[in-house]
Amino acid sequence: MPSNQTPPEGPTPPRGKLAERLLPGGTEPDPRFTLANERTFLAWIRTSLALLAGGIAIEAFTSDLFPEPVRKVLAVLLLLLGMLLSGGAAVRWIRVERSMRNSTPLPLPLIVPLLAGAGALAAAVVVVSVLWR
Amino acid sequence: MSAAATHGDPGLQPERTTLAWGRTMLALVTVSAIFLRWLPHHGLPILLLFAVSAGAALAIYLTQRRRYRASARGIVREKVDADTSAVLWTAFAGIVLGALGIAVVLAG
Repeated sequence: MPSNQTPPEGPTPPRGKLAERLLPGGTEPDPRFTLANERTFLAWIRTSLALLAGGIAIEAFTSDLFPEPVRKVLAVLLLLLGMLLSGGAAVRWIRVERSMRNSTPLPLPLIVPLLAGAGALAAAVVVVSVLWR
Repeated sequence: MSAAATHGDPGLQPERTTLAWGRTMLALVTVSAIFLRWLPHHGLPILLLFAVSAGAALAIYLTQRRRYRASARGIVREKVDADTSAVLWTAFAGIVLGALGIAVVLAG
């Protein structure tokens, strides 16, 4: 550690109640890993936000491109995916944090096939509706 | 400088994490602007979505300084408290935006 480092003052504050309940047991992981997990969570949240904004926009700006049912299906699909990704990102954050506390292998991300599958489904809806016209 | 503001991490983890929250805040601002853009098409209920996304952006903005201090101190102590409440609130905002958005689209 660099010599200009000021040593931490006082005892470490206890963990919050929420953290105790959701992330019980184990030992404190490397703080760098905890911060990295938080950044990955935020990257998923931004992906989810893009889908949510897209869902709201697509219903409005494709009004002379697609018939109403197609627009609604696409919009709801994107919004639903954004919603599931937001929730799934939090679930994944908790699972990763737990496995780091207990030094177990990191879980596979279920939100990756979810994003890929739903993205492909949305593309398929567009392809079918374009060919149908 | 105080102990809270300096840390010896060459990987600049506190900076990177605070910037990641900042990017998320900017994404929320952009998304809230997009919601406003389609106000004429979707009508007044879209203001609810605007309020949620703009409110979440404001909440991040107001906690950035505290967040940086906590993570810089955590690097020095070799122990960072996982920010459970911030993660759950952010995910909750995304879920609420999705649910409100589906309601707006289906009602319109």
